[in-house]
Amino acid sequence: MRHSGKGFLGGARPVRHFGHSGKIIFLTGALAALGAGWAGFPRALYSSRPQPVEFSHKVHADKAGTACEDCHALRADGSFAGIPAFEKCTGCHAAAMGTSAAEKAFIDGYVTPGREPVWESYARQPENVYFPHAAHLKLAKLKCERCHGGHGATDKPRPVEIDRISGYSRDVWRGMKMDDCVACHREQHLEHSCLDCHK
Amino acid sequence: MNATRRNVLKLAGGGAVGALFTPAPWRLITDAALWSENWPGIPRPARGEITSKATNCSLCTAGCPVRARCVAGQPVAMIGAQCPFGITGHHLPYHPARVRQGPVQQAAEAVARGRRVAVLDLRPGRTASWTYRRAMKAMKGTYIAPPQPPAAVDLAAAKIVLSAGVPVLEDWGTPRNVLAARGHFRLIYAGAVETRTAALADEWIRVQPGSEQALVEGIAGSISAGEAAARTGIPAERIASLAAELRDGGPSLVLDAEFSPEALSLSTGTLAVRAEAPVPATWAREAAPVTALADVANGSIDVLLIDESAPGEYLPWNTIQPKLVRNDAAVIAFAWSRRGYGRWANYVLPAPVYPEALDDIPPAIDSPAPVFRLSVPLMTPPEGTINPAKFAGDLAGINAAAALRGRAKAIDASDEFWKSLNEGATWIGKPKAWQAGSLSQKSMGSQSPAAETDLPLTVVLTERRGGAAPVSPLLSKLYQESELRLKPNRAALNPDDARAAGLAEGERASLQTAIGRCDIAVAFDASLPRGVVEAAARPGILDVCAPGARAKVVRL
Repeated sequence: MRHSGKGFLGGARPVRHFGHSGKIIFLTGALAALGAGWAGFPRALYSSRPQPVEFSHKVHADKAGTACEDCHALRADGSFAGIPAFEKCTGCHAAAMGTSAAEKAFIDGYVTPGREPVWESYARQPENVYFPHAAHLKLAKLKCERCHGGHGATDKPRPVEIDRISGYSRDVWRGMKMDDCVACHREQHLEHSCLDCHK
Repeated sequence: MNATRRNVLKLAGGGAVGALFTPAPWRLITDAALWSENWPGIPRPARGEITSKATNCSLCTAGCPVRARCVAGQPVAMIGAQCPFGITGHHLPYHPARVRQGPVQQAAEAVARGRRVAVLDLRPGRTASWTYRRAMKAMKGTYIAPPQPPAAVDLAAAKIVLSAGVPVLEDWGTPRNVLAARGHFRLIYAGAVETRTAALADEWIRVQPGSEQALVEGIAGSISAGEAAARTGIPAERIASLAAELRDGGPSLVLDAEFSPEALSLSTGTLAVRAEAPVPATWAREAAPVTALADVANGSIDVLLIDESAPGEYLPWNTIQPKLVRNDAAVIAFAWSRRGYGRWANYVLPAPVYPEALDDIPPAIDSPAPVFRLSVPLMTPPEGTINPAKFAGDLAGINAAAALRGRAKAIDASDEFWKSLNEGATWIGKPKAWQAGSLSQKSMGSQSPAAETDLPLTVVLTERRGGAAPVSPLLSKLYQESELRLKPNRAALNPDDARAAGLAEGERASLQTAIGRCDIAVAFDASLPRGVVEAAARPGILDVCAPGARAKVVRL
């Protein structure tokens, strides 16, 4: 420990520098914060909600040849129906079509007792956002994957992660933020104003 | 390595620096902002099935057909509405100034105590109006309504229109009719102030303030061209050429604020007898006559029921008050807020607001044929609201709930007809051509007092659609935060007039008319001619003056 300079009353004032141990302590704190921030914070921030049924998009696309719009359809007035109605599922799965445990659990747990599963939405936009699927699918001819990623090829639904503070789905931050919308519109040289999406 | 204070601070410092390189602090800032957007109390749009429902807008007598887009049964857009008020009509049930509870029992007891009951119906011609008339007949009361025009206008037939101060292109008729006909007639606007109608007219004739009626009388020959020229400031030759233009360029339509006999006589082929949809034969026998407020004796009303639920002509309170008995009168207002007659009423009972109420809409001024259409409720009114017609009907033992169906049956008794009406359909009757002798009733009559020498200014009212009618709170934001529109209780004067009266811009002053006075803030407007005071038609102003009234502005 070296001493130099003047104290408040004219006496010697100690000047302390980071020694070796001080650097280690500082770096330990920084590393702990980095670990907590990158690994622990997301776990703490998001609550995880499992889907009620182990639905395989992959099986339905590959084996049944189902396209996205067969179940996630547009209504007659152009509005998006979102998650398909229970009747859409029971139309095919009134009885087991395969031998999978997931299908059996679905039929036993929901179809037979007539209990509709309560699906969690991955992509629900905030209340102040108006997003017309019809315009983007029919006019812009966008593929579902452009915003929803590879969700249609998953074999098992991952849990929906909801931000505990804002209440928004984590998927919104994966390519469905306002910046993403604006960037895409700019790419397409489209005029846009606030009121296009925020009615 | 000891756990000294210094080491703890080093660890914390390292942690703070490290945290800056993680998403945590930045994300917390964003999330906190998003969280604040979702605080409890912030309205959330409903989620659910998207449907549409047809109705007719009842905010004015234009009765525009509307297709309401509903989400989970809640209207979120009014498609087809033709004006800003109609487009935002679905906001009204959520208006922060809305009255939601009222002393119903006390009001009923006050009515029971009264001997001389009267109803003031601001929008006559509805089925509810007939309920009031029947109730008043049964109770030996008086049914009062604002003056109604004797004729209806067929704008589509007109080739030339002379408007003497009537805002034809603003808040006068049915927007779709006016827009459809506008390309087919020449519009001459005579007025002292450059209103929006004046700006959009083919010709604007600037006349002396308050002399519009003199111009019509001069053209009709009721007064000499010389006298008309002196009063209007228009050369006698121009008045003569206007008369020739109306005569030779017809079919012609002359509109003035009072539907004067002169205006009616100058209109050729563009008028029809104003008629309502048929009513059951028994109603006419059981109904009290329509009485003009001016014909009601002073001090003759114990209990006054005012139906403010359907927006209509606002009668100045200062003309109503003398009709009440001096100290003991009970005034019961059925209103959406306390901003209208609720300021004066003893009891304010909450009434349903558009689009909550089932009501019919009387024909508009530019509807030459009788019509019958319903404003079908799109929402359920909140608990505690009172249907004014039902309240009055119950007093006299009349089933008001069945009245609309009963009137529909007088037109067509089939269930299909009733079903169509409830799906937004309009029944249109046959127009009856106007004949020279059709004027079986008095003209509407000027509500403005005669010119008085100590009242040098003429009142010009703007934003007449407002009155005490419900308006989306979002629409009021514009004038609350800007000077683009005249704010309530603010009046504009020519700067020379204002200075002559010793007034400064923004100064508080008193607007005085023959029937009363109200406090205003003075605004200077160099575009106004001298001799005019312009004010927004809001209840405070309307309590003391009608359009065209004589007034003065004095310092407080």
